[in-house]
Amino acid sequence: MKLFQRTIRDLHQMLVDREISSVELTAAVLDQIDAVGDKTKAYLLVTRELALRQAHAADERLRAKRDVRPLTGIPIALKDVLCVTDVASTAGSKILGGFTPPYSATVVERLEAEGAVFLGKTNCDEFAMGSSNENSGYWPVHNPWALDRVPGGSSGGSAAAVASGEAIAALGSDTGGSIRQPAALTGIVGMKPTYGRVSRYGLIAFASSLDQIGPMTRDVVDGALLLQAIAGHDPRDSTSSSRPVPDYLATLADGVKGMRLGVPKEYFVDGMEPAVEQSIRDAIRLLEQQGASIEEVSLPHSDVALPAYYIIAPAEASSNLARYDGTRYGFQAGGGRNIIEEYMLTRQQGFGAEVKRRIMLGTYALSSGYYDAYYLQAQKVRTLIIEDFKQAFKKVDALLGATSPTAAFELGAKTQDPVAMYLNDIITIPANLGNVCGISVPGGLVDGLPIGLQVIAPGFQEEVALRVAYAFEAATEFHNARSPLMGAAA
Amino acid sequence: MSAIATRYEVVVGLEVHAQILTQSKMFCGCSTDYLTAAPNANTCPVCLGLPGSLPVINRRAVEATIRTALALNCEIPEFSKFDRKNYFYPDLPKGYQISQYDLPFSRNGYLEFDLKGEAKRCGITRVHLEEDTGKLLHEGAIHEAQASLVNFNRAGVPLMEIVSEPDLRSADEAREYVMRLRAILQYIGVNDGDMESGQLRCDANVSLRPVGSPDLGTKVEVKNMNSFRAIHRAIEYEIGRQTEVLEAGGRLAQETRGWNDARGLTVSQRSKEYAEDYRYFPEPDLPPLDVSRKWVAEIRAGLPELPAARRERFMTALGLSPYDASLLTASRPMAAFFEETVRLGAPAKTAANWILGDFSRLLNADRKEIDEASIKPVHLQQLISLIDSGAITGKMAKQTFEAMYGAPDAGPALEAARGSTQISEDAELDRIVDQVIAENAKSVADFKAGKAPALKFLIGQGMKVSKGRANPQRLDALLREKIS
Amino acid sequence: MPEPESELSSRQVEHVARLARLGITPEEVLRYRDQLRNILHHIEALNRADTSKVPATAHPLEERNIMREDRREPSLPAEAALRNAPSRDDSYFKVKAIQE
Repeated sequence: MKLFQRTIRDLHQMLVDREISSVELTAAVLDQIDAVGDKTKAYLLVTRELALRQAHAADERLRAKRDVRPLTGIPIALKDVLCVTDVASTAGSKILGGFTPPYSATVVERLEAEGAVFLGKTNCDEFAMGSSNENSGYWPVHNPWALDRVPGGSSGGSAAAVASGEAIAALGSDTGGSIRQPAALTGIVGMKPTYGRVSRYGLIAFASSLDQIGPMTRDVVDGALLLQAIAGHDPRDSTSSSRPVPDYLATLADGVKGMRLGVPKEYFVDGMEPAVEQSIRDAIRLLEQQGASIEEVSLPHSDVALPAYYIIAPAEASSNLARYDGTRYGFQAGGGRNIIEEYMLTRQQGFGAEVKRRIMLGTYALSSGYYDAYYLQAQKVRTLIIEDFKQAFKKVDALLGATSPTAAFELGAKTQDPVAMYLNDIITIPANLGNVCGISVPGGLVDGLPIGLQVIAPGFQEEVALRVAYAFEAATEFHNARSPLMGAAA
Repeated sequence: MSAIATRYEVVVGLEVHAQILTQSKMFCGCSTDYLTAAPNANTCPVCLGLPGSLPVINRRAVEATIRTALALNCEIPEFSKFDRKNYFYPDLPKGYQISQYDLPFSRNGYLEFDLKGEAKRCGITRVHLEEDTGKLLHEGAIHEAQASLVNFNRAGVPLMEIVSEPDLRSADEAREYVMRLRAILQYIGVNDGDMESGQLRCDANVSLRPVGSPDLGTKVEVKNMNSFRAIHRAIEYEIGRQTEVLEAGGRLAQETRGWNDARGLTVSQRSKEYAEDYRYFPEPDLPPLDVSRKWVAEIRAGLPELPAARRERFMTALGLSPYDASLLTASRPMAAFFEETVRLGAPAKTAANWILGDFSRLLNADRKEIDEASIKPVHLQQLISLIDSGAITGKMAKQTFEAMYGAPDAGPALEAARGSTQISEDAELDRIVDQVIAENAKSVADFKAGKAPALKFLIGQGMKVSKGRANPQRLDALLREKIS
Repeated sequence: MPEPESELSSRQVEHVARLARLGITPEEVLRYRDQLRNILHHIEALNRADTSKVPATAHPLEERNIMREDRREPSLPAEAALRNAPSRDDSYFKVKAIQE
């Protein structure tokens, strides 16, 4: 097996055993980026020198057996919404062209402290707004399983990088499904932790009350390892919880025997591909065979989650994106006769169509006379969705469903119809609004394309979601399937 | 003005912005010193609004706001939150200001004050907490400038907004309200009261209505008044202007006008928002606050004596007139100076006269605070004592005071005044010493018996006989000579 | 409950774009109007939920009173604060004039 095909856990053992060095490993992954990067377009920036410098430092640590951590020497990709000191960070937007932050995100600092190696910044939908990566301000990303297909979004670059061997693991961000949906569409594991579990400091904001950073990995164990490294309270993020972080590996292999797993009937939505539904039904049966008791549950307000999301997220975004005015950093259009004209030109030229659409939608929803009908109503609906989950979790330990109603679609298939695109997130959005956590784990192939099984657990019970996902993964071979670009595992 | 007063009633409400005295900014650890720091030296990802940065609430700023609200007799709700006020301006780095909209830290208070012996009360609508903006420097005049320069050192400095009810009925009342408010803020240590540097800022909503009408007239917001005098002049001007418009049968525009101090008039300003729609919504980056009754009680327990109570005490315990007591307690440093002077032994009325008279005149001319002056309470007390003992005349005292005030150290000038009146001629001193020896036989005997302190007593008696004018060193020498 | 979506006009689109400081061409006004109308039509489903007795979510995190002590921390070095500025004058950010 090639180095870039392996998992964090395998590579960690090889590094500790001095079978390989981090420099060798990093070079192997960089070579793979050179080999297939033009096909996937997964990266916006490859930080080759930084990666090799960090790999050398990691090798020092490994040689001295000094503070060797699970991620020491492991090459990781970072979604471009994460700030890294002195490394261009654009959130996939032209308006942040050339911006090099003078500070790093807390998760970046934590990975640095672990001794991880940063391969570069991965492509994404502009400001994480999108479900296909076609809204990148730079270029679209191609799915390593079928290059004419989207990798999903918004963390499509991170997903494609992990699925193509251009990274061992990656960080993404998930506001309405942006980790889980691309993970499903590229056959990897992606987890959205509970809001407040991982610090958002240094994450370029899309929707502040929904955004969470999470791991995107080859398998569930790697997901647990990466989450362990980034989770926990951060005094710089007032919305990061001070609840203690459990040892995610400790309970990972406990199995689902005796667990109660719920299947929300609302999650088998109209428009779901029959083959996807069949795969999910099979997955549920498999978990039942593992000893879980399965029962149908109802999340009655699931149908209003999507509309609530498309008010709350754009409203917050319209405010979060007001700072991009071309006066302190990033793109400045020039040519305005006064400051207001300059603002309008800069934002007209700097933002892409989807971002502008959402800024306008959000501005409208907050504007005088419409606030109560839209924003306030959406926040009330959010309360109902939180309550739905609370009721369901009185009966069951975790919920099961598809991650996305379809496998990866063709590039361009939905770009002309915003609403059709929004429907991609219909079964991932409730977890963001409901303050719960969710993980997508490879759930099979449909016509040669991966699909994901989603496991949703109560807030701050990531260990429960990981445990169910691991039980499923351990009983299946789906996670060992490799994209054509990554190559055969043998 | 008197003719106007009979036809129209003046309605004024004030919005006072007060920067809170903290070490660090409202939502980050940057220093709040924006007056002396190099441009943009006190900035960080948070107060520059860099992508990905997040705010964290400064506890001291919250407590200072609640402290102020308690001093203004406000209710403190048990639940409060921050909101975003969205608008674009180059001094606003995030494109929104973190402020408070529908659930501020406090509401429904009042401020009592006294105007020409008449007790007044002005309602306080709310006291809320927000962040200050950066500062713009215009290259040339604002309307002709091609570019502006932005300094974000002030961005994120904690700022309280104290909103009054439209309860004020004249420029005099408005000025008095701000003076009392400023005194309270200084007393409780939340603001230093400096209007000129913008640490305390005041906007006024001014309208007129026919006497007896319950409805409010068209409201004009007046900005840019940075002294008590400016507040008074601007409101007077606005009353006159509005009266003229109404008298001529015209209609007033609801607008914002800026006070131009040099020209002594208000000028219509273009609204900074094309249509003001701030799209307030709860700040998602900051969880709300539960303001427990225990916390409020702790803050209340830490409040010092407020000006109204101190004023009352100056009247009852020290016998000052209501007017003098009001003036002295308008500024905490001045009240403290007065109290210290009295504690050192000066009569209260005399001390008050000096402080409110010559001293205040000199301070006002220099735009200085009393605690910045070289004259300290001990100097004033000694000067008063020289006058009271008859050692110097009132006219000399005035000259001495000015000399003391003008010197970097008041001590030498005071000593010079004392010295200029000293008796050094041996003939006169001889007479004084003889009188002291004759009148204090016991002490003379004690000193002869070797009790050194007795000599100090005798010198003191000599000073008393000479009304403080004898040279103590000469007295010492003569006494030793004559007794031995 | 009003049905504001049915009334979204080109003028409102222009107004919203102006509030958001987004330059917009006449063709875009029409395109965004139609797209936003369609999106708002779907969002109308919000009104299907009975929220008459439901409080709005105050904040997703249940924790309260998250504050820091009033302590100074180092600011950015001046050059780091200013290096991304598209226009600057010495240690100031430079912007177009405010005049309209």
